[in-house]
Amino acid sequence: MFRTLAFRVNSAIRNGINVNKASPVGVVNRCMSHGKTETDEEFDNRYESYFNRKDIDGWEVRKGMNDLCGMDLIPEPRIIIAAMKACRRINDYALCIRFLEALKAKCGGKVNEIYPYIINEIRPTLTELGIDTPEELGYDKPELALKTVYE
Amino acid sequence: MALRLLTLGSRLKGRLIPLGSAGMHHEAAPVEGTREMVGYGINGQPVYMDRVDFPMPSLRWKEETPDVLALREREKGDWRKLSIEEKKALYRASFCQTFSEFTHPTGEWKSVLGYTFIIVGCGVWMYIFMKFFVYGPLPDSFSEENRRAQLRRMLDLKVNPITGLSSKWDYEKDDWKK
Repeated sequence: MFRTLAFRVNSAIRNGINVNKASPVGVVNRCMSHGKTETDEEFDNRYESYFNRKDIDGWEVRKGMNDLCGMDLIPEPRIIIAAMKACRRINDYALCIRFLEALKAKCGGKVNEIYPYIINEIRPTLTELGIDTPEELGYDKPELALKTVYE
Repeated sequence: MALRLLTLGSRLKGRLIPLGSAGMHHEAAPVEGTREMVGYGINGQPVYMDRVDFPMPSLRWKEETPDVLALREREKGDWRKLSIEEKKALYRASFCQTFSEFTHPTGEWKSVLGYTFIIVGCGVWMYIFMKFFVYGPLPDSFSEENRRAQLRRMLDLKVNPITGLSSKWDYEKDDWKK
């Protein structure tokens, strides 16, 4: 009985070792990378053309904006301009203001450096479309208070 | 009574949805009311929530009242012709709170700090009460004389002679090493 068991174990171990030996040395199989990484330029182009699509609808605009807000970046001004124009095509004024607010929130601690730059870059588009910045609407400070629901 | 419950049930039936059924995602009308569902939202549910990381929820905030619909008609025209009030009304029709409102500090930390101090204060008073009314006096070994005797004994026993207490004691001069 033990003889049988010992033979089994022995052959199993041998097989295991042989399998290891049989694998070709020097060929490295990298299974973790799928395709190449997108460059910043390609990313910007992708999002700009996404917002520039003529038949984009509100769901897609919101999806794009929400995705951008979830990423660790502040979109380039040309993406923002494309997004503003997309809002114009779907006739949603509030969305523009909300997106600008979200961008300002994304600036974090560097809001005094990045946010004025963005506004400066997209100012012609804002004027052309008649969009006010959140500051011009007085939304840089709290305007209304919510009644608490717990009382 | 049973009849009353039955009639009440039938009255509610028109508005309620069967909870927990598999297809309730988009049919969950009671949440939406007549609000326009404008996006997928954070999880596909018709739920409104102001969030910094997900600023555009799936619903508009206000229901489609006639004045909101009239504003939407105006919105289709030139935005430069809209007044500030109309623009603000449009924003509030779509969103409940602005970023500066829902990210504004609530001041909750003050109550947290206050309650913490109240509880700690109660604890201190409980200790004082125990000290004066429950516990007896400290043992004799806490007195100056007894502590000196204890130290002397530790030196006599040469406690920790390499790096510790006795290594700092000069046994020839019978004093601390200088």
